[in-house]
Amino acid sequence: MKNEEFYVPYIEGSLGMRTKRTLKRFVFIALFLLILGALLFSYFQNTFKNSTFELTKSTEITGVYHESPYPMLRVQIDENTYKNIILLGFGKMGAHPFLKKIRKEAITLNGKTLKIEGNLIYYNGKTLLQITDDEKVIMINSSITKLPKSKAISQMSFQGEIIDPKCYFGVMKPGFGKIHRSCAVRCISGGVPPILATSDTNNISQYFLITDMNGKPINNDILPFIGKPSEITGIVEQLEDWYILKINMESFQLISEKSNIYD
Amino acid sequence: MGLNYQFVLWNKHKKMYDKIIVLSMLLYLILFAVVTLVFNSETSIETLILRAFGSLAIVLLHIILVIGPLSRLNTNFLPILYNRRHLGVSMFITALIHGGFALIQFHALGNTNVFYSLFTSNLDYNSFTNFPFQVLGFFALLILFAMASTSHDFFLKNLSPTVWKRLHMLVYLAYALIIGHVFLGAFQQETSPFTIGFLSVGFIVVGSLHLISSFREAKIDKSIIDKDAQGWLKVCTIDEIDDDRAKIFTVQNERIAVFKYDGKLSAVHNVCKHQGGPLGEGKIIDGCITCPWHGYQYLPHNGQSPPPFTEKVATYELKLLENIIYINPKAFEEGTEVEPTQIQKT
Ligand code: HEM
Ligand code: FES
Repeated sequence: MKNEEFYVPYIEGSLGMRTKRTLKRFVFIALFLLILGALLFSYFQNTFKNSTFELTKSTEITGVYHESPYPMLRVQIDENTYKNIILLGFGKMGAHPFLKKIRKEAITLNGKTLKIEGNLIYYNGKTLLQITDDEKVIMINSSITKLPKSKAISQMSFQGEIIDPKCYFGVMKPGFGKIHRSCAVRCISGGVPPILATSDTNNISQYFLITDMNGKPINNDILPFIGKPSEITGIVEQLEDWYILKINMESFQLISEKSNIYD
Repeated sequence: MGLNYQFVLWNKHKKMYDKIIVLSMLLYLILFAVVTLVFNSETSIETLILRAFGSLAIVLLHIILVIGPLSRLNTNFLPILYNRRHLGVSMFITALIHGGFALIQFHALGNTNVFYSLFTSNLDYNSFTNFPFQVLGFFALLILFAMASTSHDFFLKNLSPTVWKRLHMLVYLAYALIIGHVFLGAFQQETSPFTIGFLSVGFIVVGSLHLISSFREAKIDKSIIDKDAQGWLKVCTIDEIDDDRAKIFTVQNERIAVFKYDGKLSAVHNVCKHQGGPLGEGKIIDGCITCPWHGYQYLPHNGQSPPPFTEKVATYELKLLENIIYINPKAFEEGTEVEPTQIQKT
């Protein structure tokens, strides 16, 4: 089994038959593995949700601004039916930096009617609006509209995961879990409201805006828990189409099971 | 050879090699995109790009890593080794697209800078399953960058082959980091036995090929050599070396190649000045020792590359007693003329 073939790159014709055969075989096997890799990696991805982010389309929305405690726009969609749209900034930021300009016109914005043009994000009945330009936030009516108060329901415990709603409801896929954690941490530390996403055994999801026991925003304290299956106890309140969960950070518990939101 | 960095000619084999690389990569990306869009059409385009390029990079890395041991086990694989750097640079570009895209997607447009965010957005450095896997990918990417940007012969010259070789050995560290990146990252959430199995088998294949080929080399290194009264070492008989070929012996931790050609014997240090190729696995062509890796040449009697080239390797003195070859283990200066030992015709 002596191998007399000796390939020298610059010597014409030095590529022998056996070497050629070896090379061909190598290329075919490598190509086969490459194709197998492409098929396995692409086919075995978890199913993506049909959440939507209208990146290239802008929509104008008019409604009453309020902070409960995160910036929202209350929009009437039917007689006696209202939808509260969460307001967000551009990138991984909350809405506040984009409301600075309009705040020069009125010291408090709560209860005032604004018209905002931005990009819609929506999934599973919830809607959010990304503001990209503070020029596109316009005061329509500076008289104060009376807003409903949230109704207390009861103290309850839930299993789920803290997500950033911007990505979860449309901008990124998957917008939860370990893969996405860093991004969610950036978003929530940038002012995007933290939300607890839960899912029961029938796969019905509930979403809770998280606040502290006084109903104030929590952003920084919750960062180490984002994107991890958790059990959270708190007081549930309802504000029209949103639940609010008032929590004590001490009641936060990480759990080892995968939360149902993965399914 | 040293005078002209373009020595490695753009010959037709090389063009074919590059064509195969580019077409295979395109094929991978297209297949990935089509399968995803057909079976999982709610994907976002960002995730598609991120995953297609990330997974292509790791598949390419496996192919790159098996070439070394395969060509040590069977010299017919050498032409692939000879052009491996193009595969390496292509793999780096693929990984850069993946990593760069991930950095922008997950860390840009926030309240701190991208790199600060990469290291601090997930602080579970003391956890296994929650480990900040992106950091591992980042360090791997830095290593790949260092390798790709110094892969040109220009750096080989200016970094000294030892430094260059060490730098390129870091590919194994990069591989380990990437395996960690994927198993502690994507696989924690996208848990499919098929993709996990695929990469696990890949790891086992890469590992065992390296073990097998290094066992073989260790055998060469152990060859026992007897001393004579003057301290010369007995290496082998004349018949054990083929014409125009060499045998490699390890003498005081240095590998030496003993060549037989034109009824003469000469010995030189085994390590090629280009990328450290094994000269003893080379062949005498046109009177020159020709390196099996890229064809650098040296004259057997003085270890010098023929003019205009300037590479030099160390030479050794041989003597012949009744068909048995002895070597003086003391190396001469690189490029020292040594009278070849004549083999008596009987
Ligand atoms: C700055 C450096 C890097 C960052 C920030 C980064 C980030 C990420 C992220 C976020 C994921 C999960 C994506 C998902 O599944 O949706 C991922 C997955 C992956 N990464 Fe990286 N990565 C980097 C470097 C690398 C390098 C150098 C390689 C290998 C050559 C690599 C190979 C992979 C592979 C194979 C996956 C799993 C398949 C996939 O989901 O794309 N990554 N990386
Ligand atoms: S290592 Fe490249 S020619 Fe010897």
